[in-house]
Amino acid sequence: VSDDGFLSGLREQPRPGFERELRGRLREIDERAVSGAPAPWRGRRLVPALAGAAVVGALALAFTLEPVRAAAREFLDLFRVQRFAAVRVDPERLAALKQSGLDLKSLVGGQVEVVVKPVEPLPVNSPEAGGVEAGIIALQPATLPEGFALVGAAVGRPGEFRVRLDAGKIRSVVEIAGADEIEVPDHWTGATIDVAMPPVLITRYDRPAAEGETRPADAGYVLVQARSPEIEMPEGVDLPTLGRLALRVGGLSAGEALSFSQRIDWRSTLLVPVPLNGADYREVEVRGQQGLLVTSPAPSAAAPTGTRRRASSRSVLLWSERGNVYALHGPGSGWQVVDIAQTLQ
Amino acid sequence: MGGVRILEWLSPALAVEAVDWDQVFREELPRVYNYFRYRGFDRPAAEDLTSATFEKAWRARDRYRRDRAAVGTWLVAIARNAAIDHLRKPRLDVPLEDTALRDEATPETDAMRAAERRRLAALVAALPERERELLALKYGAGATNRAIAGLTGLGESNVGTILHRTIALLRERWDEEGGAR
Repeated sequence: VSDDGFLSGLREQPRPGFERELRGRLREIDERAVSGAPAPWRGRRLVPALAGAAVVGALALAFTLEPVRAAAREFLDLFRVQRFAAVRVDPERLAALKQSGLDLKSLVGGQVEVVVKPVEPLPVNSPEAGGVEAGIIALQPATLPEGFALVGAAVGRPGEFRVRLDAGKIRSVVEIAGADEIEVPDHWTGATIDVAMPPVLITRYDRPAAEGETRPADAGYVLVQARSPEIEMPEGVDLPTLGRLALRVGGLSAGEALSFSQRIDWRSTLLVPVPLNGADYREVEVRGQQGLLVTSPAPSAAAPTGTRRRASSRSVLLWSERGNVYALHGPGSGWQVVDIAQTLQ
Repeated sequence: MGGVRILEWLSPALAVEAVDWDQVFREELPRVYNYFRYRGFDRPAAEDLTSATFEKAWRARDRYRRDRAAVGTWLVAIARNAAIDHLRKPRLDVPLEDTALRDEATPETDAMRAAERRRLAALVAALPERERELLALKYGAGATNRAIAGLTGLGESNVGTILHRTIALLRERWDEEGGAR
């Protein structure tokens, strides 16, 4: 017996049949979720659409590092999402930067004060009722694929935040990212930016499970709609420069970042980071607006044996319309998602 | 954080972080089950608590964040809470050595091995709660010292030190009792 080998003596294999029984119980959970009408809302994934925490920080920089003069706070401008733009980010570069000591989470996260705490989605009786809570007129698809119907609606509250800038910390990011071409003025320190996220209405559409089939909770289509988020920031903010920093952290060269930053309107465009060798994206027209369609590759073996595996890929269509922002998620390469979005009314 | 929050709420589908549940069952089910066994629960209770742990994880699987914790660590964190909740409920206390005796006294079980298990269970049961918890995480759940530190809030080196001392103590008692037999 080695020094601690004797301590393994209590280890044992679970009873034969236990695993099978447990898998059966998990299948029942999904079956119950689908058979009920409306199905209880069970907390969809509300995590960043990003390749990791470092990318989260990179994106955050695009919206939090605006240069601000405290004395000019009365000249506030407002950021509203009018369109979405995809930007390729390199997860390997982000990992390398992290190895080099770039901890965006602590650099940026430590500067964020939660003014209104986020609340996870809670079920509502109907999309209409949820729309009232979210302060919007809820849109619903007029047509869905055969057999699909509304199975749940919920309203979540992403909360409000205040970001306090620190030029020293931002310079650390610049240095580690090797973005020497970007200058960070001292007067950024102490400036605050307020971010208000309106309530979000989430509706889910699915079809009944076929005999012997288990539908995962996130199968089918999910529509997310909300008023545009608002970010208060002072006049004179040099957003393109700050956006360049985020892009540099994400892996773009100095030239690419400059070119990209000059092509978009930073006051109305929300960047959607798409990992290299990960999801594909394309711009599409939806309801007379320019939308962004991002298709993620299939997750491998996402469900235990005996349950139905997810579709081969999933897509999300993002667009802005009449001051609101929308995201429609669904299976497949995206054409059906676009078709459904066109029927919203 | 506006950009981040906006995407958090708009783009859940982009954040698909596939969990191979077949692999989870294969690798993590025995760990979670043995965590409960090392915590002193008898087999039926360990099965119930393991089921509760997996059911909770299954329901919350869409919120699982791979960048925050490995699947195994996530499951063990849920298991710890399940154990705590279970222990808070009014119940008839069944000492570990008693459950071990009852569990192992089956016709199918090798008598010698059962006796060793009883001895070990009795020794573990006599340890303070913190040491038992660390042993359960280390030898039941197979967690690394770093993962244990993350789960318990103890420093990694502190975890190593406590485990080292506890193992040495158990080893000493194990050998003493073995020699006395």
